[in-house]
Amino acid sequence: MAQRFRDAVIGSFGDLHCLAGFKTPASAGTPFRLDEGYSEETRSQSEGEAAARAASVTAEESEQHVALSSLPDWVLALTEEGRSEFAFAILRSLRTSSIAAIVERLNSRLHLDPVLHLPPEVTFQILSYLDPETVLRASTLSKTWRTRAVDSQLWKLLFRYEGWASTPWKVRQYEEAQNKRKAEAAERRTEVLARRTRVRRAESSEERHASKKRVREQRMMKDGSRDRPVPMSLDGATDGAQAWAEQHGIIEADDSPSEDRMQDISYDRLPQTRTGTSDWNFFSIADGLMVSSPTSELKNASAISSLLPPAKPSLLLDQGLDVRVNWHYLYKQKRRLEENWNDCRFKNFQLPHPDHKDEAHSECVYTIQYSGKYLVSGSRDRTVRIWDLDTQRLTVPPLRGHGASVLCLQFDERPEQDIVVTAGSDCHVIIWRFSDGQIIKRLDNAHSESVLNLRFDDTFLITCSKDKTIKVWNRKALLPTDDAYPRARIASAKLPSYIIDIEKVSPTDHIYFKPLPEYMLLMTLDGHSAAVNAIQILDGQIVSASGDRTIKVWDVRTGSCLMTMQGHTKGIACVQFDGKRIVSGSSDETVRIFDRATGAEVGCLKGHSNLVRTVQAYFGDLSGAEVELETQARESDRRFWMNDLGVAARPSQRQKRGENDILAYGAKLPPGGGGNRWSRIVSGSYDETVIIWRKTPNGGKWFPAKRLRQNEARGLAGGRPRAGAPAAGAQVPNTQQGHQAVNGAQAGGQANPPSVTLAQMLQAHATSLLTPSNILPTPLPTPTAPGTQPLHQQITNHAQAAAIQQHLPVVNTAQAGQQQPNAPHGAAHHHHHHPHHHHAGANNAGGQAGGNSPRVFKLQFDARRIVCCSTDPVIVGWDFANGDPELELVSQFFGEG
Amino acid sequence: MAASTPATQMITLTTNDGVDMTIERQVAERSILIKNLLEDVGETGEAIPIPNVSEPVMRKVIEWCEQHKKDPPASNDDDSDSRKKSTDIDEWDQKFMQVDQEMLFEIILAANYLDIKALLDVGCKTVANMIKGKSPEEIRKTFNIQNDFTPEEEDQIRRENEWAEE
Repeated sequence: MAQRFRDAVIGSFGDLHCLAGFKTPASAGTPFRLDEGYSEETRSQSEGEAAARAASVTAEESEQHVALSSLPDWVLALTEEGRSEFAFAILRSLRTSSIAAIVERLNSRLHLDPVLHLPPEVTFQILSYLDPETVLRASTLSKTWRTRAVDSQLWKLLFRYEGWASTPWKVRQYEEAQNKRKAEAAERRTEVLARRTRVRRAESSEERHASKKRVREQRMMKDGSRDRPVPMSLDGATDGAQAWAEQHGIIEADDSPSEDRMQDISYDRLPQTRTGTSDWNFFSIADGLMVSSPTSELKNASAISSLLPPAKPSLLLDQGLDVRVNWHYLYKQKRRLEENWNDCRFKNFQLPHPDHKDEAHSECVYTIQYSGKYLVSGSRDRTVRIWDLDTQRLTVPPLRGHGASVLCLQFDERPEQDIVVTAGSDCHVIIWRFSDGQIIKRLDNAHSESVLNLRFDDTFLITCSKDKTIKVWNRKALLPTDDAYPRARIASAKLPSYIIDIEKVSPTDHIYFKPLPEYMLLMTLDGHSAAVNAIQILDGQIVSASGDRTIKVWDVRTGSCLMTMQGHTKGIACVQFDGKRIVSGSSDETVRIFDRATGAEVGCLKGHSNLVRTVQAYFGDLSGAEVELETQARESDRRFWMNDLGVAARPSQRQKRGENDILAYGAKLPPGGGGNRWSRIVSGSYDETVIIWRKTPNGGKWFPAKRLRQNEARGLAGGRPRAGAPAAGAQVPNTQQGHQAVNGAQAGGQANPPSVTLAQMLQAHATSLLTPSNILPTPLPTPTAPGTQPLHQQITNHAQAAAIQQHLPVVNTAQAGQQQPNAPHGAAHHHHHHPHHHHAGANNAGGQAGGNSPRVFKLQFDARRIVCCSTDPVIVGWDFANGDPELELVSQFFGEG
Repeated sequence: MAASTPATQMITLTTNDGVDMTIERQVAERSILIKNLLEDVGETGEAIPIPNVSEPVMRKVIEWCEQHKKDPPASNDDDSDSRKKSTDIDEWDQKFMQVDQEMLFEIILAANYLDIKALLDVGCKTVANMIKGKSPEEIRKTFNIQNDFTPEEEDQIRRENEWAEE
């Protein structure tokens, strides 16, 4: 890009000459002279300017030249000011209508088209200040405006300015794969050409076109009949992508020998396509300002005669040398995807695949994580399973090694990492190889009680436990002189005896240091007074959430506790940290947002009617957003202290700060925590719902935009709820019907299925709950579970539920230990113990009917999906790509938001 | 090196219409092009030719540089997207930019050539603000833009752009 700008700057010199050239005389303060047969200018440059001037003289300007030359010499001899005064005097002598007509004729002197006068890198900057809607409006102004406004790099910037994340490594990977395919196809073409030259000559281009069309139609039918298009593999070379590319008129390469006929046309014609694309040829060619593949030109020849680039942006831009992803297209698809979220258009799916139920966990699933293509799950059945989300199948057989429930995990599938870390009720931590599921290392008895959560980054592995401690482990061998080696001076951190205090060792002894092997305990953080339920690590800071109702922030290197945050009125179950905000879910049934910088609570989200067990938030800050956020926070503070008249208000007149009734004077974040218009929080609760929270456009108040239920999703995911009879388990589920239900719901503009379907489903599900015979293997007894009822809905993660509620009123503790295996544990139970839940409005209608809906243990969302695990052994997901192949393909390029 | 350069040191620029302009070095160094030139060539006392900028435009550019000579130098590591996105212009700059379009574009081109990033930013923001909130017809009028689309093409583009409508 820098190179591009440099080139453009050089290019702009010509332009500058032009503009300055023919206008300078008119605006200069020196007397204006027509050519008098000599020139005072001695610099040769003036000749160049004169040439440029001559070249750029338009019809209107030559008219002016004529007018000028007809002026008397004495007028021309006047100074600029003199001529101005003279002209003004003449104008004043005219009727107003004549003046107006003159002004009209001078229009082209007063109003100048920026794209004709400014080089592309300047108009790029101008357009970058506009919102996307305005940029699109600008694209309708003229052809030149359009070529500047649909620039891929511009849209890449606009994409970033929305606060949307992307996955640059996947974009690069995809581009490389496409380039490779193109190169291979070119090679094949050369060979084929050599063999078939004579035959070729006889064919007319119409014949070629027709044969190509046939091939395409065949392919489309083939693909269109698929229920779900063949998923994109990471190398981008699968059928699905190819079919899509064809439908959209960009064929970069094709493996099919029947099509090699057209390929040579495509590339032979490339230069022609370029001619006249833009006034800025040096720019378009150098930077490939969306030079479309001629294939699309052929295809759309009748519809679009001259529109280049074509009206519809395509995923790939063939820049001659290089195939690149088109960010204009990515931006558009991202917006379409967001529309699906807003309108709740989704398709449900489940793990296992409905046709491969044997791959399912046999008991409830406590933890999941996924990253684009893969999902890893950990269950009460003691196994860890790695799923391919595209095929909904296991990639390797279940990972066995834990002696009790798997409660937490994290994985990184990238080849340089290739790792899954899991832990659970057996107090062990196991490190597996992601690619083959083999155990690399075990940290036996890492804690003295259940390991409730773990997180790792490149340097550290952090675990937290019911034993109230947090432990820090090294992921790579460390020398005492390394930056990551513990620097402990703080009492809250306990160091193992093998940790050397580097400050007490003479530098000359440093050569005798032996590295600490990987996965050794570096320190134990002891500060919470109850179980530590959840942790995060980011930028050297550990954030921990505990049953003691506090959140603590720790320095991972020194072990010092940097901050303790209070706000929740009961134990905290989950926490997320993005560097600025800490978002937590608690047994007090709220989700709260804390400002990391000041510890102030800036948001409290009320909507769940039971423990909030899992939460994820996406705020989408732009880089450098701190300043803006702090400005907003100060403005909010000011409004709190001032009444509408701008004078200091008496306390009784003060409005509650913000929309969420939070008083957080002095916070660095505005009420609600700030973030862009696409911000989203998704939380899952023991009230058996998942809530998608959105912000009101003006006030920044979070509200429950949508409630989702695991059992509804499962019903729609293709695995129809089991009909109760043991034989039902053997039936192949009617996938077709499942999809019809989805479509029906969408047609009505609602995500909820028609009530009949829902009722049937719930009835069926209720029956199934009472029928133990459809549970596959007999569950293994779990050490931490007091009652080892062999039913999958006997679910409470005792370790964690007890931990969260440790410091809670008796009524809650009772709840934790009171799971009745055969009774639907939902609504009735709540009503008995929590009469105040009656007012949980929106939840009630579904809540009563869906009383059997499982408690949500863990969820995760990204740009495309929400996936959640629960008391049900089946993992369900909501896919907001909604079966659209374009969205399915491009979602891989979008980040977590 | 800044210490060895008194703020009052004067340098001379020669515009493309042959006018010599003598200004404070500190003012001239708002232009990265001139700053680098002075650092590379050293102080020779000779006038620096500015072949791409005419005297009236240079006068405006110098006026801006005078006003902003005390601003902290533009840092390259300012990657704040939230600032880059904003089209806010401070009051003085807004007034400064109230010129005819020809002068506005020439200031932008001069800032681009002389590498005065903050001035280029202000110029581009000014043009962006002239586009904001206007209908296509109003924008065409503002800039005398010739619509060279056929009605069919225009319609086609409008329909394609519908996805962005709220």
